[in-house]
Amino acid sequence: MKVLYSGQAPYRYLPEDFAQRYDSVVTTPYLDLVEPANMQESLHSYVEELLLAARSGFDGVMVTEHSQTSYDLSPNPNLVAAILAHTTAVEGIDAAITVLGRSLGKSREPLRIAEEYAVLDTLSGGRLIAGLPVGLSYDANQNGGIPPIETRARYREGRALLEKAWSATEPFAWNGKYSRYPIVNIWPRPMQQPHPPFWIPGSGSPGTLAEILGHDEVFTYLSHFGPKLTGPRIFNRFWDMAEEMGRDRNPYRLAFMQVVCVGETDAEAEHLYGEHLQRHFRNSFGSVPMSGFSLPGYTDIRGVEAILRDHGDMGIAGRLREITFRELADTRAAIVGGLETVREQIIEFVKEFRIGNLLVMLHGGSMPHELARYNIGLFATEVLPHLRGIWDDEGWEHRWWPTGIGARTPAGSAAAV
Amino acid sequence: MHAEVAEGAREEVVSVWNDELEIHVQVAGSGPPLLFLHSAGGLRWGEFLDRLGEHYTIHAPQLPGTHPSDPHAIHKVDTFADLLLMYEELVRALGIAGAPVVAESFGGMIAVDLAAHFPALFSKLVLLAPAGLWLDDHPPTVFELTAAAPEEVPGYLFANPDSDIAKAFFALPDDPELIPGIVAALVWAQGCSGKFLWPIPDQGTAKRLHRVTAPTLIIFGSEDRVMPAIYGEEYARRIAGSRLEVIEGCGHIPQVEELDRTFELVMSFLEA
Repeated sequence: MKVLYSGQAPYRYLPEDFAQRYDSVVTTPYLDLVEPANMQESLHSYVEELLLAARSGFDGVMVTEHSQTSYDLSPNPNLVAAILAHTTAVEGIDAAITVLGRSLGKSREPLRIAEEYAVLDTLSGGRLIAGLPVGLSYDANQNGGIPPIETRARYREGRALLEKAWSATEPFAWNGKYSRYPIVNIWPRPMQQPHPPFWIPGSGSPGTLAEILGHDEVFTYLSHFGPKLTGPRIFNRFWDMAEEMGRDRNPYRLAFMQVVCVGETDAEAEHLYGEHLQRHFRNSFGSVPMSGFSLPGYTDIRGVEAILRDHGDMGIAGRLREITFRELADTRAAIVGGLETVREQIIEFVKEFRIGNLLVMLHGGSMPHELARYNIGLFATEVLPHLRGIWDDEGWEHRWWPTGIGARTPAGSAAAV
Repeated sequence: MHAEVAEGAREEVVSVWNDELEIHVQVAGSGPPLLFLHSAGGLRWGEFLDRLGEHYTIHAPQLPGTHPSDPHAIHKVDTFADLLLMYEELVRALGIAGAPVVAESFGGMIAVDLAAHFPALFSKLVLLAPAGLWLDDHPPTVFELTAAAPEEVPGYLFANPDSDIAKAFFALPDDPELIPGIVAALVWAQGCSGKFLWPIPDQGTAKRLHRVTAPTLIIFGSEDRVMPAIYGEEYARRIAGSRLEVIEGCGHIPQVEELDRTFELVMSFLEA
């Protein structure tokens, strides 16, 4: 199994009563809440933790995009991905650089995403995993000003442009509905050919899953809504659909992001992380107004009706603002415990749902840098080695893993000099 | 809060845009023709239209995408400019060019811009709290309304959200099986209208208003929280010879919240 470190960049110094007073996105007042030095520290710690994970033997590191939020200070994840790509290349670390990713439904410049990803893939020597998210509704539609009903059409056109810009052998003109260019001929192109692996994050609606399986790409699911509740629905839907569509049961088709807090013992873990974890969920996704996940037009009319008839896929989403540590642990929105508990819970879940790529989020909310370092270190030495071989006995090929890994390129060695 | 249609209405399906798009039109009432353009929430046939139908044959087109037969028709309308041309074709195809138009909110924005593009298309304009203008000092809350939680919506639309009228407006059917479909249709209608209202409900209409020549009645509620009543003054200032009526203590839907007064104003203007 591949185990990647999943980073998110929250402002770490939000007030205790944040969730009662503010939304975490779009309207959160900056000047009232932020001390600039603390903001700098939050961002530096975020980058340091990603680098620590890369140096500690994780198979990859992951960054995400969210604008105008207090929980992920990442208007363009490629900024930090560039630091990671360069540093790992210089230090000879063979980790995947995963951007999950730049939002094609939000972007008015999809061609720039193609260019940035190509730079990252080249800088890293072919180690990029290219995330292609539609984008969250509040981010694409409120922050980005995209009419919700156009989000998916823009995504599709942007993606088609990106793929053509990467593969075209001659300069070409693009007369799209949303982007128009007289000449497209980007420099550089990705090192990985025909393109870096595409991983697609989503909430697991049948339409999205069918599209991902149709394209033969990786579905990436995040644990925020309590996978004990949502996991069986989403993952079983995925594998059922895979079977219907004639796809194999290769576990590397699935990536899953899981918050993990590990201590020596269960008691220590709860003591060390409980409060931070609770705050992380309350102050991040918990403080996104429910309408922000799907403004009118963002979700197709049939999807809206399906959710109204059965909101099981939303899990604990509606309760996150007042969520307790216990509920987070019980629904596995976070796996928290001593070494044995964490190993057991991860292995059980991963095996049950055939997850080949685990993205572990080891920092959240107000968790101080030193505690995050402890969590990363303990996970890397005491948990990670137990996960590596999980799918080895089935012998699947990972067809969605960067080809630059394990194949040192001249560029990589040049950077290392 | 669902889009019921008038009893005895008939539906006309009109092909426009070189036969690429079908627009569904509800036709009801008797008398000379009148065009009615609905708001962002989709067509909803209430008492105002019933009363108007006693004097006019109402033609009420449903915005592409808001008729249940083809929710994806909205994707065939690329821009507001295209929508105006489609509606102009529709009015001519219905054979009602030269009739008066009554339009609410988002529909008002379409009606007034049609009249600016094609000054002879309508004999008269009645604009009920029309959207379409933007003043930096008094930003409309169209966006906030669209993003609002369901429990906040009555406070945007009604001056008195606790009144029986407001409660009846938002009432859902007793059968819970029907509710998801109704709510989904309403949300989708907002999504379809949102294509022309998002992120800023201003398609440049202001600079074209000097072209409107049809006699125009503008009605606003003094307590409109979506399009503050100052937009009534702005519309009146920009449309030569137009008349503004502000109804005291009324919100964004005067034809519902102050039905009698609104109907009386509309009828006396149309009949004059």
